[in-house]
Amino acid sequence: MINSPKHLKYSKKMSPWAMARKKFMKNKLAMVSTCFLLFVIVISFLAPYITTTDITRVNIGETSLPPSSDHWLGTDKSGRDVYTRLLYGGRVSLMVGISVTFIVISFGSLIGSIAGYFGGVVDNLLMRFTDFVLNFPFLVFVIVLNAILFGTVSGVWVLIIVISLLSWGGTARIVRSKILAEKENEYIIAAQSIGTSSAKVIIRHLLPNVISAIIVQATLLFAGMIAVEAALSYLNFGVPQTVPSWGNMLSSANEPDVLQGKPWIWIPPALALIVTILSINFIGEGLKDALNPKSTR
Amino acid sequence: MWKYCLRRILGMIPMLFLISIVVFTLAKMMPGDALSGEIDPLNTDPVYIEDMREKLGYNDPYHIQYGRWISDFIQGDFGRSVRYKMPVSDLIGEKLENTIFLGISALIITYFLSFTMGIFAGRKPYTIGDHIIGAANYFGMAIPSFVAGVFAIYFFSFHLGIFPSNGSVDITLQNGTMEYWLSKLHHVILPALVLGLLSTASYTQFLRNDIIENSRKDFVRTARAKGTSNRKIYHVHILRNSIIPLITFLGFDIVSLVSGAIITETIFTYPGIGQLFVQSVQTNDYAVLMALTMMFSCLVLVGNLVADILYGVVDPRIRLD
Repeated sequence: MINSPKHLKYSKKMSPWAMARKKFMKNKLAMVSTCFLLFVIVISFLAPYITTTDITRVNIGETSLPPSSDHWLGTDKSGRDVYTRLLYGGRVSLMVGISVTFIVISFGSLIGSIAGYFGGVVDNLLMRFTDFVLNFPFLVFVIVLNAILFGTVSGVWVLIIVISLLSWGGTARIVRSKILAEKENEYIIAAQSIGTSSAKVIIRHLLPNVISAIIVQATLLFAGMIAVEAALSYLNFGVPQTVPSWGNMLSSANEPDVLQGKPWIWIPPALALIVTILSINFIGEGLKDALNPKSTR
Repeated sequence: MWKYCLRRILGMIPMLFLISIVVFTLAKMMPGDALSGEIDPLNTDPVYIEDMREKLGYNDPYHIQYGRWISDFIQGDFGRSVRYKMPVSDLIGEKLENTIFLGISALIITYFLSFTMGIFAGRKPYTIGDHIIGAANYFGMAIPSFVAGVFAIYFFSFHLGIFPSNGSVDITLQNGTMEYWLSKLHHVILPALVLGLLSTASYTQFLRNDIIENSRKDFVRTARAKGTSNRKIYHVHILRNSIIPLITFLGFDIVSLVSGAIITETIFTYPGIGQLFVQSVQTNDYAVLMALTMMFSCLVLVGNLVADILYGVVDPRIRLD
C-alpha cells in the first residue's frame, strides 16, 4: 500500500470497498453532510406524521404571520404554515432529484455501455443521437415540453420525465469513455474468449469497474437536479402551484412586499436548498476521494 | 484548420434541420394556437375566428405549414408577434441588444473577479485568504443562480439600496445621454454578477489549482534560479501558461449564458430575450417562441463549435480532423 495515507491502517484482507468506506468515514465534512442529508430525507418523507396541519387549506384569518410558537416559521400569504410546507416541499424536491438521478443514471449508463462496448456502427449511431440531445438548450426545451405535457400526466411526474429526457446525454458520454478504456483490459478478452455473453461481460465485468465514476456522476446530478427543479418551479414551469416544493415556495419572493418585508416566507426554502445542495456536493467530493485509490488525503 | 471549421459549420446544417422539425412539432403540440391567445372568445364571432384560422393557414396539413414556416425563416421572416403586434425580428433585435450587454458584462465581471481571486489564492495556497476564497467558491457553486438573485435583490436593492432591482435603464432618461449609459451600467451590474456567479467560482478554482501546479514546474525553478522577481514569475511566466486552458471555457460560457439569461432576466425583470422567451411560452406567442428556440439552439451549436476550435488553437497537440 504505497499510496495509502499513514494514519489509515488497511489490513490486507480489506476489499477496495471496505477501504473506500474507511476513507470516507474519516472525512469529517462528508460524514456531517451525509448525516444532515439523511436527516433531511427522513423528516421530509415523514412529514405527514410529524405535522398535522393541512397544507392545502387556505386560512384567511392567519395570513402572513411572522414566526411564533404556533407557527414556527410563520405563515405565507394564504395563511398556510411555512414550516409544514417546508417539510412537504422537501419531499417533492428530493423526490424529483432522486427520481431524475435514478432514471438518468440508468438510461445514460445503458446507452454509454452499449456504445462503448460494441463500438463501430452502434457506437456511431448512439453517440450521434446523444450529441443531438445534448445540442438542445436544456432549460428552453424543458420549459416548452413541460408546457405541452402539463395536465396530461399527473403533476410532478411530468417534470421528472421531461428533465430526464433531456439530461442523460452527459452521463452516457462519461460511461462510454470509461468503458472504452476499460474494455481493453486482458480480463475482458479472457471473459470474451471463454464465450461469456456480451450482456454478462458488461454487467458482471465492465460496469463494476466503472461504478465509481458513475457514483460520483450521480451525486453531481442529484445536486444539479434539485437546483433545476427549484429553478423551474420558481419560474412557474415546474411542479404545479398546488404542490408545495422549495422552488414553488421561493416564487413568492417575486412579489416585492414578500421579498422585502416578509423574509420568513422565502428564506427557509432558500436556506434549505442551499444547505442540501452544499451537503450533497461535500458527499460527492468525499466519495470522489474515497473511491480514488491514488488519492492520499 | 479552416477546412475543419468549414466542415463543422456544414455539419451544423442537418442538425439545425432536425432541430427545426422538433421545434415545429413541439410548437404545434402546445395547447391552443396564436389566435386562442389573442382573441377573447366571448367577444368575437366564432365564425370570424375560423375564417382567420383558414386565412392564416392554421388548417393546412402540417408539412405544408412547416414548409411555409421554414422557408420564411431562412429568408429572415420570423413572422409577427401576436402579443406585441410587431415583426418578431424587430422585437428580438430590440431585446437582443440588452441580453448581449448583460452577457458581456457578466463575462467581464467573471474574468475580473476570477483572475483577481484565482491569482491571489494560487500565489498563497493553504493560507487563510486561500481558504476564505475556497469556501466562497464552494458557496458560489452550490447556490442556484436564482436563489443568489433573490438574496442579491434583498440585500443590495432593498436593504442597502445601492442597485436597482428591475429594468434595464431608468425610463425617464433620454437615449444617448451620458446619464442614460451610466444608468444602463448601473442596472446591469447586479444581474451580471448573478449570471456570472457560477463561472466565476469555477474559473477561480481552476486558475488557483493550475497556478499551484505550474509553480512546481521546472521552468519556474529555472526562472527563480536566474533571479527573476516573484511578481514577474507569477504574472508573466505562470499566468501565461494557466490562461491557456481557461480560454477553452469561452465556448461553454456562451451556452451557460444563454440558459442563465432565462432565469436571471426573469428575476430582475430585465427586458432581454430570456424574459421574452418566458413570456412567449406563457402567452402562446408561437412565432416568438419558435424563433427564440431556434436561436438558442443555434447559439448552443456555435458555443460547442467555438469550444472545439479553441481547444485546437490553444493546444496544437489536439488535432482537429
